[in-house]
Amino acid sequence: MTTPVPPPPGRTINRGLFSHYGARLGLPAGILVTLIAGALVSDRFLTVQNLTNVLINMSIIGIIVVGMTFVFVTRGLADLSVPATVAVGGLLVLGLESSIGTIPAAIVGVLAAAIAGGINGWLIGYAGLNPVITTLASGTIVLGIAQVFVGGVIVYGDNTEAQAFLTGRVFGVVPVIVLIFLAVVVIGHLVLSRSMLGRWSYAVGSNPSATGASAVPVKRVRAIAFLMTGTLSGFSGVLLGITLQTARPGIGTGYEFDAITAVVVGGVSLLGGSGTVLYAFGGLLFVQLLTNIMVLLGVPTEPQGLVKGALIVGAVAIDVALRRRGGRE
Amino acid sequence: MTTSTALRMTGISKSFPGIRALSDVGVDVEKGEVHAIVGENGAGKSTLMKILAGVYQPDAGTIELAGETVRLADPIEARRRGIGMVYQELNLVPDLTVAENILLGSTPARFGLVDRRALRAQARAVLDELDARIDTDDLVGSLTVSQQQIVEIAKVYAARPAIVVLDEPTSSLSEHETQSLFRIIRRMTEAGLAVIYISHRLREVLDISQRVTVLRDGRLVETRPTAGISAGEMIKLMVGRDLTDVFPKREVAIGDVVLEVTGLSRVDEFTDISLTVRAGEILGLAGLVGAGRTEVARAIFGLDKRDAGTVQIDGTEVSIRDPRDAVRAGIAYVPEDRKRDGIVPQLSIKDNISLAVLDRVSLAGWVKGGAERTLAKDKAVELTVSPPAIAPRVDTLSGGNQQKVVFAKWLAAAPRVLILDEPTRGVDVGAKADIHTIIGNLAAQGTAIIMISSELPEVLAVSDRIVVLHEGQISAELPRGASEHDVMHAATGEVSS
Amino acid sequence: MNARRNIFTSDAFHGLVRNRVVIILAATLIIGATFVPGFLEFRTASLGLDRMATLGLVAIGLTVVLIAGQLDLSGGAILALSGIATIGLQAELGQIPAAFVGLGVGIAAGAINGFLVVVLRINSLVATLASMLFFRALAHLITESRPVSGIDPFFGLAVSRPIGGTFTGRTLIFFVLIILLHLWLTRSVAGRQLFAVGSNPASAEASGIRSRAYLFGAFVFSGTMAGVAGVIQSLSVNTGSPVFGENIVLIAIAAVVIGGTRLEGGRGSALGTLGGLLTIAALTTAMEYQSVPSYVQAIVTGVILLLLILLDRTVSGSQRRDVTLAALWRRARSSRSSRITERTLHHEK
Repeated sequence: MTTPVPPPPGRTINRGLFSHYGARLGLPAGILVTLIAGALVSDRFLTVQNLTNVLINMSIIGIIVVGMTFVFVTRGLADLSVPATVAVGGLLVLGLESSIGTIPAAIVGVLAAAIAGGINGWLIGYAGLNPVITTLASGTIVLGIAQVFVGGVIVYGDNTEAQAFLTGRVFGVVPVIVLIFLAVVVIGHLVLSRSMLGRWSYAVGSNPSATGASAVPVKRVRAIAFLMTGTLSGFSGVLLGITLQTARPGIGTGYEFDAITAVVVGGVSLLGGSGTVLYAFGGLLFVQLLTNIMVLLGVPTEPQGLVKGALIVGAVAIDVALRRRGGRE
Repeated sequence: MTTSTALRMTGISKSFPGIRALSDVGVDVEKGEVHAIVGENGAGKSTLMKILAGVYQPDAGTIELAGETVRLADPIEARRRGIGMVYQELNLVPDLTVAENILLGSTPARFGLVDRRALRAQARAVLDELDARIDTDDLVGSLTVSQQQIVEIAKVYAARPAIVVLDEPTSSLSEHETQSLFRIIRRMTEAGLAVIYISHRLREVLDISQRVTVLRDGRLVETRPTAGISAGEMIKLMVGRDLTDVFPKREVAIGDVVLEVTGLSRVDEFTDISLTVRAGEILGLAGLVGAGRTEVARAIFGLDKRDAGTVQIDGTEVSIRDPRDAVRAGIAYVPEDRKRDGIVPQLSIKDNISLAVLDRVSLAGWVKGGAERTLAKDKAVELTVSPPAIAPRVDTLSGGNQQKVVFAKWLAAAPRVLILDEPTRGVDVGAKADIHTIIGNLAAQGTAIIMISSELPEVLAVSDRIVVLHEGQISAELPRGASEHDVMHAATGEVSS
Repeated sequence: MNARRNIFTSDAFHGLVRNRVVIILAATLIIGATFVPGFLEFRTASLGLDRMATLGLVAIGLTVVLIAGQLDLSGGAILALSGIATIGLQAELGQIPAAFVGLGVGIAAGAINGFLVVVLRINSLVATLASMLFFRALAHLITESRPVSGIDPFFGLAVSRPIGGTFTGRTLIFFVLIILLHLWLTRSVAGRQLFAVGSNPASAEASGIRSRAYLFGAFVFSGTMAGVAGVIQSLSVNTGSPVFGENIVLIAIAAVVIGGTRLEGGRGSALGTLGGLLTIAALTTAMEYQSVPSYVQAIVTGVILLLLILLDRTVSGSQRRDVTLAALWRRARSSRSSRITERTLHHEK
């Protein structure tokens, strides 16, 4: 029977104040605390050199994080094909650069990754498949194809000029690669916060059926999130390949893990409809600073992984709890 | 009161915020009786049954089962007490067999393993008692809807209830299948069960029930033996109310035909729907729940597919494959389910208002913040959204104001045709009056309006013409000045008496 | 949804899809026999199955989880963690106790997953994604990203040697478990009730079934199976490594999906999973013999999985006649009597 009887009232929205400001203040506070703690713990922490190193380490993952933010906001859950598209970018740019030159090879690398992302987008956005399974499967396929092309071995590049360019510094301070990363972050943030696509992304992640009923192309928006992530991952793979001048198929392993951690810790909800690129950037910064401190303290690499894992579980649980208390289904 | 009374509900009242669903309603059912409950949409039938099922608790009133006063704290308690509910949405497991479904939760077992022989035998016994010819080993998912319903009934029956409630059981059944169902109902009453039969199909009510209770606006109107009442009288009881002129209707000059729908059909939903709407005209679309009104609206708007039919705007056929096409063609749709299809809860009021027309306040894909804010502000003021701020999240507003935001969104699209689906549902009186004023203004500006409403007084007061749907087909077209009677007759498919 | 009648909604197509594991397995065996000399020899089969046994154990756990309507992505990480415990603690506890600890790790991990999903009510995909990352990180932490070696390479050899000239130990363990699962799913009350829980947990509760307990149990079971797989695998190579089991969940899901279990829950079968596993084993063996590199094998597995879930999406929705072999047989047997019944019904009208 569908006689219109309204259900008992849900909670009112006053809790919104806490979660709204809590989320906003929590991370900057955390970053501040980390900076202070770092300075106290090691006198190498606040040096320009150290902080620049942190930024360089951030750059590759950071580009991926921008794409992953879109995936989260549109409630696409996660793109697990990132290791594959990163590897594709790296392998292709180095594998082809001797035959067609670095820049064309880079373009091919990005294009190949974009195609992979586009296929993900089609399968998830239009065919409606489960994003996690689909990106897992497509990642495996794409990685396999990339390995077929380079014969399954490590690829070496020999273009030291490009390498020097990317790692060289502008004004003697900021490495080029960091500039590229920051540019991507800025553009990504602008698109998500001020463009039609960005607005649509929030709407789709928050309430897809109302958004569809408002004449917004829901499927297209979902697909674009994955296309974007694939392309950006490929791009960062290209940059990584040029910077290292070597690439192997496993070069992207773990990057999806790190990107998801950054996005989740930054306060972008896994359930969609909220968060910004800057939040994700903050999350990434926080995690990277934390890692840096541990390195400076001489902590071996692996507790770091543990901390990251715990951060994810914690951040997701908090997010779910806040949503639930707010009366949301 | 004798112990032959299986159920007695007395003085039941129930309110929800802003709505009084039931006021002092009472009904009693004897053992072996089929007791029908009828009423139009919103009369309170569903709330009353949910109270009986233990889903809701009444604010006041008592429930007595076989003379004993009980408190049905939750559905499990209700079931334990012998109340069996058969809802429209079936609760079966498609991949288990008929027998397993019937005895789900009470499967006969030996050492934790299913006793297949006993399972089959017990299920067969239940089905035979109901004289139902269904194979116990078939997977439920492979049965027809009618058969599945019988399995659901068998499942409820197997728990040996004292009372069985059937909620709109025949909406998906053919004539033949309905008769099969009736046979089963009669078997149950012969076994001493009390059956409550909820339906808007008055012919069936006359056929199967011994007594009928009519509810209206949450109140009990009358309970009478079925033998002494006709369909026409039932309708009179269901709708008889004083029409007060709460909704002032503006006199508007009606222009040319804007929207023309021809032969719209969708298999199993609606057939051959044709209607026209002129500029400034308000076309009321009436009918009972399930008649297909929302389905027709969604098909016109491109939200759902259609199998046949054309839509014309200003005499030119337009192709509508999705809402974007519809908006381009100048059609807008305010949906029935505000929470699911109307607002995007996490976005601000401004973002909600501009959502459908972002391209009109954007340049090359970038939203022009100033233009958007102006648009949103204008619309919010025009629609008297309160408080008049556009920055807060839309889920901070009351239901009535949320509805205004949905209106604002579509008005921002400046549509030529506006389809409203239950526009004042769940809205307080003040906002309701506002919305009616808004509708009137829109008509005055030349918008062609289709209004779907289950509230008869509203439909009658606001519409220039009324199209009534019955089971997916147009059963009547009535002019302004028609009575509630006329509408209900057409809505229940009765030939005028 | 669309009410179009086309080839995708026909009964024949439905029949094909439901019984697809039989078709796919047959096709794979034919292809394998064609391209690989000695494919159908017993020794080939035994080796191929042995290699699949670890995967099979994880798939058994996944089958239960999927029928319950959930997902578990953490199987691979649990496998690695269990293996590390099994090998790493040998020196202190002795080999057998260490193996039990490894098993315990699997059980505990499963309980953690169950807690996240049932108590904290986190979506199972999200929860097991998070736990997968966490367990994997834990594995790397404990071992400092280096494999751990056991004290006696001969101890675990038993599981990977053919017993009595037939199948290897772990293959036998796998077969026993999957047959037990099949029996449990088809004959036990709890197994049948699992389908109800996966199909519609609310209505299962209304019938008196404790859905939450079943869901929790499903995750514990899945974790345990991953633990068993981890113990057996690490013993067989006398090594515990934090990178073991990295791709296993994907392939296990592929096997389960090939076998006809849907991702949406409420439907599945152990035999189907067995069929899917055999298919993958046959495929892998055939590809190995052709010296197909592992990354190409991965491509093939991935493509098959994607095609199948696409297929499932296309036919989902309209569930019509029961086209399982059992039902077809039943219908054929009773067709005479039902025709009589039909005529009688007609007369009654």
